[in-house]
Order: sequence, then structure tokens, then C-alpha cells
Amino acid sequence: MPHRNNEGFLEDAWAWNPSVAEAIAAEDAIDLSENHWEIIRFLRDFYKKHEVSPPSNRLFVKAVKEAFGEEKGNSIYLMQLFPGTPAKTACRIAGLPRPTNCL
Amino acid sequence: MSTLILIDQPPYGGWTGREALDMAFSLAAFDQPVSLLFCGAGVNWLRKGQEPGQVRQKSVEKNLSAATIFGVEALLADSDDCNRYGLEAAQLLSGVELVRADAQLFAGYSHTAFAG
Amino acid sequence: MTKIQTLHILNKSPEHPRFARCLSMASPDDAILLIENGVLGLASAAISTSGQLLALAPDMAARGLDDGSTSFETIDYDGMVDLTTRAQQVVSW
Repeated sequence: MPHRNNEGFLEDAWAWNPSVAEAIAAEDAIDLSENHWEIIRFLRDFYKKHEVSPPSNRLFVKAVKEAFGEEKGNSIYLMQLFPGTPAKTACRIAGLPRPTNCL
Repeated sequence: MSTLILIDQPPYGGWTGREALDMAFSLAAFDQPVSLLFCGAGVNWLRKGQEPGQVRQKSVEKNLSAATIFGVEALLADSDDCNRYGLEAAQLLSGVELVRADAQLFAGYSHTAFAG
Repeated sequence: MTKIQTLHILNKSPEHPRFARCLSMASPDDAILLIENGVLGLASAAISTSGQLLALAPDMAARGLDDGSTSFETIDYDGMVDLTTRAQQVVSW
């Protein structure tokens, strides 16, 4: 496991690989399905393009909606996949930095 | 209620512009209409081909490209200031609209705020 | 209460480029409120602008500035709130 901060986020987003995602997800008792991977790949790609995590949960939902439409870009869907604060849980698993404006 | 946020500080030398970007993203998160206007040395945010890896900062060019995804309505730049810094249309990030930063432009927004 | 077209809230000292830019942009229907370091403009050169000039009294008092001049009006925090509600637009410099 690469270095992580006290909240479990990777120190270096580029040290991530799919087995890191599985290990972090397991800590939250999440078994990664294709629906999870779709969002994880989206976040990895988003970070590569924009060098920033979606800063808040609202903006995470908005970005997913922009990419996949209403059906997936809504907080209920994302909360079912990534319990807690979806943006934080999903970024942690995808190896992205902590969203700055999430409590 | 629409907000125009002005960035007149150049990138990488300080944090005020990034804070302004964060403010714009936060307004957009709550579906408040917001646009960004780059003027003065702030137009240097918009130059293509930024590679700030060696100064250990994230690329504001890449950060800015997320603005429309998050719902920021427009990225505006003062055309005179772009000329002053040798920025021709081809060197500007895509999607940037050239305008004149004057009272007439500000009048289209209920609140105009400079960053920093 | 008279309407204000644009309220310019100016918190930069006279040396700051935005100070002069703000003064030149204000039109006769506008008000310029000097706050924080902006009130130092009252201690330096005479301010020339076509807008109505106001200054925030607590910021003047903090800097030991005299509010005896007739070329501008001083207001307190409540006055500032009132001013923002009367303005069609606000520009925070």
C-alpha cells in the first residue's frame, strides 16, 4: 500500500493501481462492481485532465451528471455506491486527493 | 443574482487566484450564476502550455478546464490586457471569450468581486 | 432614500492600482465607500471622482483619521448595510 494521510487518502495520486482501490474499498466493506469501476475510472480521468478532485460532493455529483447523465449523476445513486460522503469515499478509493470543501 | 469574479493577479506567484477559483466553483455548486473575468496580469492564467511541475504546483490551465463542467457560465478575458501580455487568440485556452473589462460589463452582474 | 446605481466598495490603499481604476470607473449615479486600507486615500491626495464619496467611520477611527471634512460622508456598519440594499449592483474592489 502506498503512503496515505491520516484520513486514508493517497499522498501521491500516481502511486495508485486497481489493487490499491480494492484494498481501500475493503476497509469500507465495499465490494467493487463494474458500476464502481465506471466512477473510479471517471475520477482517474478527471484528475489527469484537471489536476484537481471535485472540490465538494455537489460538484462531484455535477461532474458525474455531466459525463453520464441524470441516471448516474445523482446523489442517491452515488451514495449507494460510495456510502458516507460519496465524493470523499470515491476519491479515497480512486487514489485522488481529499476533496477540499468536504467536511 | 449573478456574480462576476475578477482575477487580476498572475498565476503561480500567489494563492489569491486559486481562492477566487474555489469561490467560483462553490457558487456554481449551489447553482448560483457565476462567471470569471481575467484582467491585468491575471490574463496569464489563460496561456496554453503551462507546465508548473518544476515549481511544484498544479496547473491552473488544467484546473480551469474543469470550470465549465462545474457550471461556471463563462471564462472572460480583457482583450487589451491580453494584447499587453502578447496573448493572441491562438495562444488562449479554448472557450475563453474576449471582452472589455469596463463599467458596462460589470453592469450585467449584481455583484462583481475582485480576488484578493 | 435615493437609489444608487453601483456601490463600489474600495478596500485598497491609494498605492494599489485598483484604487485609481475604481475612482475612474465610478459614474455620478454611483457611490464609492472607502473601507479598511481604502480610508487612507482620505489622508493622501485629494480624491477626484464623479461618484458620491463615503468612508467607514470605524476604519477611519482605527487609523486615527479625522472625519471633519465635508468632501465625503462617514457611515457606520449599519449605514454600510443600508447602502448595499440601496445599490443596484455592488463591485468589491
